[in-house]
Amino acid sequence: MTYPHVRHVAAALPLVLSLLATPGWGQPVAAVATRTRAHVTALASDRTDGRMSGSPGEQAAGDYLIAQLQRIGARPLPGRSDFRAPFEFTAGTKDGGTTLTLECAAGRAGCAPRRFAVDRDVRALSFSDNVEVTADLVFAGYGIVVPESQNFGYDSYATLDVKDKIVLVLRYFPEDADPQTKAILTRYSDLRYKAMAARQRGAKGLLVVTGPNSPNAGETIPMSFDTALSGSGIAAASISAPVADAIFGSLGDASKTLAAAQRALDSANPHVAGFAIPTATVRLTPVVTRETRTASNILAYLPASTGTVSVARPWVAIGAHYDHLGHGDHGNSLATKDDAGKIHHGADDNASGTSAVLAVGEILSQATRKRNVLLQFWSGEELGLLGSAAYVNRPAVALDQLAAYINFDMVGRMQDNKLTVQATGTSDAWGRVIEQANIAAGFDLLLQPDPYQPTDVASFNQAGVPCLNFFTGTHVDYHKPSDTADKINYEDLDRIVEFAATIARRIVDLETAPTFTKVEQQADPGGGRAGVRVFTGTIPDYSTEVKGLLLSGVIGGGPADAAGLQKGDIIVEIAGQAITNSYDYTYALETLKIGVGINVAFTRNGERKQTTLTPGARK
Amino acid sequence: MIRARVGTGVSLAVAGTLAVLTAAVAQPGAGGSAAGAGAQERDFLSRVRRLTVEGRRSGEGYWSPDGRRLVFQSEREPGNPFYQIYVLDMTSGDISRISNGLGKTTCAFFRPNSDQILFSSTHHDPRSKQLQDEELAFRASGKERRYSWDYDTETDIYAYSEKTGDLTRLTTAKGYDAEASYSPDGQWIVLSSMRDAYNRTLTAGEQKQLETDPSYFAEIYLMKADGSGQTRLTTTPGYDGGPFFNHDGSRIVWRRFDENGLIANVWSMKLDGSDQTQITDFGSMSWAPYEHPSGSYIIFASNKLGFENFELFIVDSAGTKEPVRVTYTDGFDGLPVPSPDGRQLAWTSARSGGSGSAGQLFLAQWNHEKALEAIRTAPPRQSPKKP
Repeated sequence: MTYPHVRHVAAALPLVLSLLATPGWGQPVAAVATRTRAHVTALASDRTDGRMSGSPGEQAAGDYLIAQLQRIGARPLPGRSDFRAPFEFTAGTKDGGTTLTLECAAGRAGCAPRRFAVDRDVRALSFSDNVEVTADLVFAGYGIVVPESQNFGYDSYATLDVKDKIVLVLRYFPEDADPQTKAILTRYSDLRYKAMAARQRGAKGLLVVTGPNSPNAGETIPMSFDTALSGSGIAAASISAPVADAIFGSLGDASKTLAAAQRALDSANPHVAGFAIPTATVRLTPVVTRETRTASNILAYLPASTGTVSVARPWVAIGAHYDHLGHGDHGNSLATKDDAGKIHHGADDNASGTSAVLAVGEILSQATRKRNVLLQFWSGEELGLLGSAAYVNRPAVALDQLAAYINFDMVGRMQDNKLTVQATGTSDAWGRVIEQANIAAGFDLLLQPDPYQPTDVASFNQAGVPCLNFFTGTHVDYHKPSDTADKINYEDLDRIVEFAATIARRIVDLETAPTFTKVEQQADPGGGRAGVRVFTGTIPDYSTEVKGLLLSGVIGGGPADAAGLQKGDIIVEIAGQAITNSYDYTYALETLKIGVGINVAFTRNGERKQTTLTPGARK
Repeated sequence: MIRARVGTGVSLAVAGTLAVLTAAVAQPGAGGSAAGAGAQERDFLSRVRRLTVEGRRSGEGYWSPDGRRLVFQSEREPGNPFYQIYVLDMTSGDISRISNGLGKTTCAFFRPNSDQILFSSTHHDPRSKQLQDEELAFRASGKERRYSWDYDTETDIYAYSEKTGDLTRLTTAKGYDAEASYSPDGQWIVLSSMRDAYNRTLTAGEQKQLETDPSYFAEIYLMKADGSGQTRLTTTPGYDGGPFFNHDGSRIVWRRFDENGLIANVWSMKLDGSDQTQITDFGSMSWAPYEHPSGSYIIFASNKLGFENFELFIVDSAGTKEPVRVTYTDGFDGLPVPSPDGRQLAWTSARSGGSGSAGQLFLAQWNHEKALEAIRTAPPRQSPKKP
């Protein structure tokens, strides 16, 4: 299937648009057709409807890719007749009728079981197993276990035996702890992490209640978007304050209430232990309904032009994700209220990278090749690297046959000639290859050795393949409907294509393939960002290394905007805590309170300034 | 090479400051802010970019007379932890080593009208391999030595022929001979040498000085391109080094440390050592001067704005005006060298942080008109405030 309409428009567009576009540095303003504009324009058009994984829009984008692959002479992978490689994923979860029954203790007269139902009093956690469990309860405080490797003693289970019990824990982390303690505990307070800790100690089930001293007090937890195809090995649900009150009430001890229990724990004193509630026997019947859909990776290859391939690791893979957020219905949209529900075009994220793969493929299709070139377009990236993970789990070309994997994710918004190359630590070969290619290309390179990036390069690093990712930085239109094709910097996108093609050709022709080097992962943040409950409306610029947190923009109408922060400001201190990098910033955010103004120090044009920022609630 | 290693001599002289000084070279320094920095730098520099990637550190890039190549030093040779000399072709991106891979090398320079490239090397020292292995074992042990330049007394100047690959030894004196560069006609070499510490009987005080900081004995020498006629031009106590000919070969610009090795300034003199003129007077460490090919101004590095914060400055070649700041980015900036056409600047910087925090070679477009304008409107030179 072709796109006659789009190609026609695209043929006329470059001339007009390149006259309108701001000329890049040092480049003559010439009305030449770019390598990438037609691709981006097609892939980010209304017709692809935001390219949500498993949607007709994704299918339309895939059709375009296949037509382009055929045009440049790429073929379906050996032994296949189709470019599409389908995989299943969980497109959504909902509670299908979870119930919780508080049974009466044996021999207790005049007691009737109390049954609670979805949604107000009980709701399954999205990762729960659909398995009915009945057991006595143990209250385990915040249910947080800090690994011993962190040299910070905090284990909610230290004195408790929860084997074959149902564990009741508080959501979040001790509310009144000092900032440093909070910064540590918050990393291990994610619900999945708490479920894992309970399961590892033999618990059959997990109940979570939001304490009266926390945000969203007493409410059940909305079911989050979770792409896991199966459960977590434990029955898990959140309960309301009335259910918790009934459970604590069964003890018949007026001093033992949820509020009192939380108060005792909120200083994060590690010696405050939980306790068994043997008077409460709970039957929990979680019902999580998972909607399964099928998305497709698009896989093609350019066979080696030398006939028989005699080099080791005879494949070089080049890829990008082509899916995006559809209309932004899965919780990862940053659209403002006015824009919510509109098409998220994803021109930069990642029509730009997808176009780069097509354009690099086209260059390589015209060159002699000692290796086969694998061209890979991933779906499901925005939902958690699903497409590339599915591929790596069942690779069509054995992973040990790959000399390298080169990825593009968001390469269309270059500013000031700055190009970030990530995962350079995955092979000692990259330094020389990048150095040589960049002498002609002339980018202001930022090299990041870390391959644990939120893009498909992470899947290949995990699989032991030397890899690289190209990235031009985030921006105010990131994950919004306003990420449109007219905002792409095509001149510099073309330069990235030529740069990457030079690197790819070098690898394609190397006698000895690059050797993989394992990069140690930075301290595992455990529960990740689950602890961040505040919304500041800042858009960090991760592509420029500065001391502090450089803002590439602020979200209009958000707290940072209201505080007068703007693009180019560098946040150096929050509530008295020095900020030297984005990790410091994340940890600092975790300790803030919603609605409580804090002092923020920042530098603007080298001058230190102060403002007060009042965080809002993260939805 | 002090063209690159300003910190060392000083730090050796004053116990306890070593860490601070070397940190200045090793890490992005304090002061200056990144966001506004880009804008201010763009007055003079555009298309700023990192040229070298491979290896722990690279620096001291000097242009070929046709402006198509750079010769530089880099720690990237497998089995040798020290600098070796490489030539980078700006058209193809090819990089090839021209030193023989053995020992320590530094401070290369293209000879105009010739196929020769000079650099300093210790490879004739029979202990070279042993020293390399010891250093590698030290690094493998996980320990990190403070960056230091040891002024190896075996350091001598060689001329490498690109046609034959032959190395011709130009100096043999005991003591560090390095920081050498050719005159524009390719007939002369100016260098810095510490031979004065070894060719006479030292007083007790001088002997102590030699043990703590041999760079105190460094003086500027002139010789013919074949190494003959070696003549001493300076006699002032304290480290005289980093000499280069000016644009027409009529003068030499260099940097002179005071006796304590704490303050350095840019100086200029005639080829016979007369008319020694002080060009800068910041009262800080101002060094690595190189005259722009127009002859209108000298570009140099100084830590005037903070001990750890080396930035580039320009000053009129006669030194009558107050210098003008060029760079505004965190991290070491030094060893600036304009291209022969005066339109580009190569320098050594730690600004990229991360894997580049030990210093790598950078390149940018140079706005000569803006520089002339800045020099023209600069106020007359001020002397530093006395503490």
